[in-house]
Amino acid sequence: MKIGLEMHFQLPTRSKLFCPCPTAPAEPNHNICPVCLGYPGSRPSLNRKALEIGLGIAQFLDCRIEERVWFSRKTYFYPDLPKNFQITQYETPLGTDGRFELNGRSIGIWRVHLEEDPGRIRRVGRPGEEIAFVDYNRSGIPLVEIVTAPDLTSPEEARTFIDQLVIELRALCGLEAQDEQTVRVDANISVGEERVEVKNVQGLRNLERALRFEAGRQYKLIAAGKRVVRETRRFDEERKVTTSAREKETEEDYGYIGEPDLGEFRTGNMLRALDLKETPLARARRLVASYGIAEVTAKQLVLTSSRLTDLFEELCHHVPAERAVAWTTGPISGNWSTLQDQAIWPELVQIVKADAEGHINDIEAKRRILALAGVRQEEASGTEDDLSKLISDYIDAHPEVLADYRRNPKAANTVIGHAMKESRGRHSSKEVVEEVKRQMERRA
Amino acid sequence: MSAPSTYALIQYAQRRHLAFTETVDGLDEGRFHFSAKDNLCALGFQARAGSAVLEGYRPPFDATPIHRLKAAGGQLVGKTTMDEFGFGSFSTNSAHGVPLNPFDPDRSCGGSSGGAGAAACLIPGHIALGVSTGGSISGPASFCGVVGLTPTYGRVSRYGLIDYGNSLDKVGLLSRSAASIAQHFGTIAGPDPKDPTSCAQPPLAGKGRMPSSLALPREAMENLDPAVRKAFQGALPVLRGMGVAVEEVSMPSLRFALPAYYVLATSEASTNLARYCGMRFGRREEEFNQHFNDFFTGVRSEGFGDEAKRRILLGTFCRMVGFRSRYYLKSLAVRQMLIGEYRRVFQEHDAVLTPTMPFLPPRFEDIRRMTPLEMYLADFLTIPPNLVGMPHVSVPCGYVDGLPVGMQVVADHWKEMDLLELAKGWEGAFLYTFPEVRP
Repeated sequence: MKIGLEMHFQLPTRSKLFCPCPTAPAEPNHNICPVCLGYPGSRPSLNRKALEIGLGIAQFLDCRIEERVWFSRKTYFYPDLPKNFQITQYETPLGTDGRFELNGRSIGIWRVHLEEDPGRIRRVGRPGEEIAFVDYNRSGIPLVEIVTAPDLTSPEEARTFIDQLVIELRALCGLEAQDEQTVRVDANISVGEERVEVKNVQGLRNLERALRFEAGRQYKLIAAGKRVVRETRRFDEERKVTTSAREKETEEDYGYIGEPDLGEFRTGNMLRALDLKETPLARARRLVASYGIAEVTAKQLVLTSSRLTDLFEELCHHVPAERAVAWTTGPISGNWSTLQDQAIWPELVQIVKADAEGHINDIEAKRRILALAGVRQEEASGTEDDLSKLISDYIDAHPEVLADYRRNPKAANTVIGHAMKESRGRHSSKEVVEEVKRQMERRA
Repeated sequence: MSAPSTYALIQYAQRRHLAFTETVDGLDEGRFHFSAKDNLCALGFQARAGSAVLEGYRPPFDATPIHRLKAAGGQLVGKTTMDEFGFGSFSTNSAHGVPLNPFDPDRSCGGSSGGAGAAACLIPGHIALGVSTGGSISGPASFCGVVGLTPTYGRVSRYGLIDYGNSLDKVGLLSRSAASIAQHFGTIAGPDPKDPTSCAQPPLAGKGRMPSSLALPREAMENLDPAVRKAFQGALPVLRGMGVAVEEVSMPSLRFALPAYYVLATSEASTNLARYCGMRFGRREEEFNQHFNDFFTGVRSEGFGDEAKRRILLGTFCRMVGFRSRYYLKSLAVRQMLIGEYRRVFQEHDAVLTPTMPFLPPRFEDIRRMTPLEMYLADFLTIPPNLVGMPHVSVPCGYVDGLPVGMQVVADHWKEMDLLELAKGWEGAFLYTFPEVRP
């Protein structure tokens, strides 16, 4: 079985790709201007930050990067596309011929390029009597498109691939855990000769289901001596089947030409100035190689917290790696909310070191670590009331958050972020989120 | 009899010569007057670019050249008539009136900045913002007997210009004299972050260097109306009298410019015009209960004129898979080759001299009999410098039966001020005549 993916990943810039409009969520048709509405006389100018992030992704994926890149116009008519052409990259993608390491196997990356997102269409009403609304807030949001070689061999692997790639890209772009991130995926799958494109699938779980169904459908056709038709199919979420999208079988002709308004960009200096962060899974591979620890342990560490991994590496300077693993994945991660305070790390290191050198035994070391955490816990013992007061004080001081929340529940993230920061780990994120939601709902 | 007021002349140019689509109600004291071709966006006016598809479009911003002229003390007094989106050489493809030549109202002003040419001729001291893609400033300047400067591509911001071919479009100036163009050119030139293609330019020279040696390509002297040839040749001794040498050269690649231009310009135009679909601006389709393809097809069928449709079809064809490399990509290569040919000439000479238009301003009845291809061929002398993005100026160089003949001088990229120096010198040696106007 061969599966190839086309992923669209939204880049976390503050403004759009070709105009200064904000990318933050807003009321429909609020973040718009003559440029992202394609008004006659307006013209694009490139957001260099998007180009930088895109180049970072291409380099991270080990792509060949052109010295000169430019943009192209992809022409097609659709109501959500203000200019009826999309500014994308055609002849000179940011990167080609790259790879991504998936559990020890190299998955080919055919191309990485930048493009603008179209607007969003919402249909309201009964089928046959629908009214279509177009929201152009999304028009011009920067996307990076990543196209893989058909190197994935099962629906499960495809999903794992996306999961892992997203972990890496989020870290590469500096996204925090609470930051929203959209990823849209189309897939090509073939079990025999001819491939089928599966499009417009919502969510990764559905993608895996759609691919599993489609693989089964193709196997049955071939077993019955029938031919798989090359076509585009959509996934019906309710019936869990793919159906033909009945699109033209020939490739659509987008009539690509260069985008003359943006000119050419030289990538050399930008690449030299790039300072790529080490991504979590790459770090896990390095931990395996440098410290000889198990891969599963390394992944557990980096996916739990990059700070916990920092502490692990710190401990490795003083004690054998297996001791560092035992303590970090054991009592330390168990009490991480208090022990993550970097100020007490030297003490922590001393305890673990004393144990490793035989000055104290395991039981004593564990007692001291718990004491260290426990003392802290008492000092900073947070109660439900503290959290509740912290949150209600913040909402009182920022009434606009409540107003935003009525329009868009994501506004609660500001309060959650504040409470997480102020309570310094005294409460689990679950507690904080629940308390914020409770209070916001009550007030809204 | 006292001279007519400027305002009376503007009204006259609008009513009798259809030079303007819209004008102001009165002039401001102490400000200089300028007009803008209708494809330049300005607050307070519609911007319809000569097209019915843009009926009612009131842009929410000023084009950068307009903004800069206003900031320098200018008043925008009106929008000038033009061929739809700049598609034409005689301004006859206009949905808002066809401008009539100031020297003879039965004849064309040229195009596509025909209204700008007429306004510059009829109103002394007037500055008209024009736009050239393939000769739309030189052509009207020649037919209306005025000076027209087309700057280097990327010298003047295109922010607020309704696109025809983005890699070819240039905003320039038309006026009765090179001196007034020189006075205002520095205002509109210069980098603008809103148009990235304007940000790669070297600074504009304060004063130009007078060209002393002009190259006259022999290919440019073929296929000329004998009257134009004679008037043009009459100008050469005057130039030599100014101390400017004129030498014949050969530029065999010039003949490739026209086909390459039409491929590139229509390819770009066909994508630029895709946005006119009756949804967000301009002419609206109110019948929403139909498939989107039918919805926009209706608006475009009714809103676009024949020439716009012809260029959309040409351009779409040139971009298609299978034809793209044969036409579009090859034309890009021709452009580079032609730049090389000009550069070769500029090693020996300061500028290239040709007539501007191959014939006198034509009568409307003769234009009606022309095929589209014959019309395209009318621009064979103005298209080469436009294709290579080099600055050029057209100045009156003779008169035949009371009709003006123009000559065009092309310099290397960024050397606009040298051209204006030559044009100013020319005005000292050759007397321009303008039609007498009685509003």
